Amino acid sequence: MQSSILDSIGVEIIGVMSPVSICMLLVVLIVYSLSSSNPFSAASAPPIRTAANLVYLESSSDSTSQKFEGALLNALVFVILIAVVTFFLVLLYYYNCTGFLKNYMRFSAFFVLGTMGGSIFLSMIQHFSIPVDSITCFILLFNFTIVGVMSLFSSGVPIFVRQGYMVALGIFVAAWFTKLPEWTTWALLVALALYDLVAVLAPGGPLKMLVELAQTRDEELPALVYEARPTVSQNGIVQGRSLDLLVGGVSDSRSVEMQAMSSNNVDQNENQNRANSGYTVIQDTNFGNMEGVQRRDEGGRSLSVDILHERHSSSSSSSEYSTVVGNRDSEIVVDEERSPLVGAPEMRNGGEQMRDGLENSDVSSRGIKLGLGDFVFYSVLVGRAAMYDLMTVYACYLAIISGLGCTLILLSVWRQALPALPISIALGVIFYFLTRLLMEPYIVGTATQLMMF
Amino acid sequence: MTVAAGIGYALLALGPSLSLFISVISKKPFLILTVLSSTLLWLMSLIVLAGVWRAFLPLKSTTWWPFAILILTSVSFQEGLRILFWKVYKRLEDILDAFADRLAKPRLFLTDKMLIALAGGLGHGVAHAVFFCLSLLTPAFGPATFFVDKCSQLPFFLVSAIIALAFVTIHTCSMVIAFNGYAEGNKVDQYFVPAVHLVAGMVTLVNFASGGCVVGIPLLYFMAILTLLHCGKMVWRRLSETRQ
Repeated sequence: MQSSILDSIGVEIIGVMSPVSICMLLVVLIVYSLSSSNPFSAASAPPIRTAANLVYLESSSDSTSQKFEGALLNALVFVILIAVVTFFLVLLYYYNCTGFLKNYMRFSAFFVLGTMGGSIFLSMIQHFSIPVDSITCFILLFNFTIVGVMSLFSSGVPIFVRQGYMVALGIFVAAWFTKLPEWTTWALLVALALYDLVAVLAPGGPLKMLVELAQTRDEELPALVYEARPTVSQNGIVQGRSLDLLVGGVSDSRSVEMQAMSSNNVDQNENQNRANSGYTVIQDTNFGNMEGVQRRDEGGRSLSVDILHERHSSSSSSSEYSTVVGNRDSEIVVDEERSPLVGAPEMRNGGEQMRDGLENSDVSSRGIKLGLGDFVFYSVLVGRAAMYDLMTVYACYLAIISGLGCTLILLSVWRQALPALPISIALGVIFYFLTRLLMEPYIVGTATQLMMF
Repeated sequence: MTVAAGIGYALLALGPSLSLFISVISKKPFLILTVLSSTLLWLMSLIVLAGVWRAFLPLKSTTWWPFAILILTSVSFQEGLRILFWKVYKRLEDILDAFADRLAKPRLFLTDKMLIALAGGLGHGVAHAVFFCLSLLTPAFGPATFFVDKCSQLPFFLVSAIIALAFVTIHTCSMVIAFNGYAEGNKVDQYFVPAVHLVAGMVTLVNFASGGCVVGIPLLYFMAILTLLHCGKMVWRRLSETRQ
């Protein structure tokens, strides 16, 4: 029996969604296990002072308006800080200081894995009373960190390991962010979503400039990004197609804040892809409908047709529109240590080799790239929700995932770098408060009477 | 020990759906997306209902009829959404078919359509279990348990997990039945689904009486098994029809 098309649709979306889900799940587990019952971490949490609350240190006794103003100020300062750092990095990239950027990235990854990861491991060891002596623990941590640094920036490491470390970085940073006080967290999330929107889409936005620079130089974006590569294990051709399908059928790269890397594909594949793309887009928009985005079909259709023409005329199969990404870097700038900022150019060689390998096996090697910052801030939102109740966690998770889905659909329609934070964060925040204010009394009221439907 | 109990409650409610998810759904990314979107739809329906009912909450726990109205409105709203879900699915199916033609692949098989319906139903069921049972489970991981006055035989968490399991079954199967009923234009199936949902909701009202859960839960399971049997019979009939 021939395989039905159900098998091949959606692979790429799931490829992005599953690491995000894993990251959020682990952050929630960490938050739960460390914050709820551990008196030590609870006691040590309040006094932290980071780049994210430079101006105002929230205390629970302050009045609401005081908290609100303070949180806004904190968020503003943090965003300005990030913007400055991002501009600085763009400047460095502009003057080709890639060596510096790369080493800086290595250092910050080392730092994040070593200190933040280390402190999380420590508190877990404390909490679960794991019998480990300090020397063993130190050696293990050191090995873990070194492997992480090497896997992020060198070519010989399996992509799976690299992906794992990206998720780990996201988890550590997010777990740290959840220690921020509540109001500041919310203000920060909203402010970052807005910043993301501006930085990626507005002309002159730092991330837009970064993307365009990388594009003109035909290089990969210098940043910490999660790369969802197509799995090579399956039948190559089908896979390639489904990717397109999924994300909107574009044969070059697209990035949702993610960038898809297109490689020099085998021509045949490319042609097929082109033929498909029209359909794909429509399809995607339909998903959109399901999720409440109505009536995009017409637009999608005509757009996709345009795209088709464009494609045909421009036969460059290897244009890389990379995306945005810079953001994440900046976001990662965590606390005072603005550690992992951005990106050092990912090793070109590595990419190239990978590609070659893939091409040999006839698979197109493009994947969607999602900035690490998106991982972090999605997880921060969910982690913050976890401090209230499980119900808000589920609601926020669903909201964020569907926001990500919407972003992917938009990506397939517009085919340029898109910010991944705004839609997801907006939905996440809305659903959090709706759930907390509206749904909780309703559900608890009926369920504790053992009434369900 | 309490962690084990908490996980046990969660698995009791969601174990069957979990195995269904791993064995059937997770192999096809499209079905995962269907589950997610149907879960989201259910969540949104809950939020809308909660928004409407917010003004009247909390209901007094001495009178039962406000709860009856609440369940009635909620069920009818959700059944309305099911029709909407079907319409969206219908368009999706056309697009998938067109896409399949384009790729020179076979159109959706009957089993594919049923799988999509199953994924949609599973999404509804999982959403129910997650919000009505799992989200209340947090205290179960702690050092104590909780009993409700009206059903003092079992811990509250265990009762809600058992009820949630019945509803997961009902939601999952009724989506398959409903989609098939709409596709065939079968009036009986189309009315069967809302009726089962409503009756199941109303049966939980029995829990309102003191000690009522001893009667209410078996009744609920009767409805669940009825739905399951009906669904199985219908799928069997459809499959054997197409095979001939």
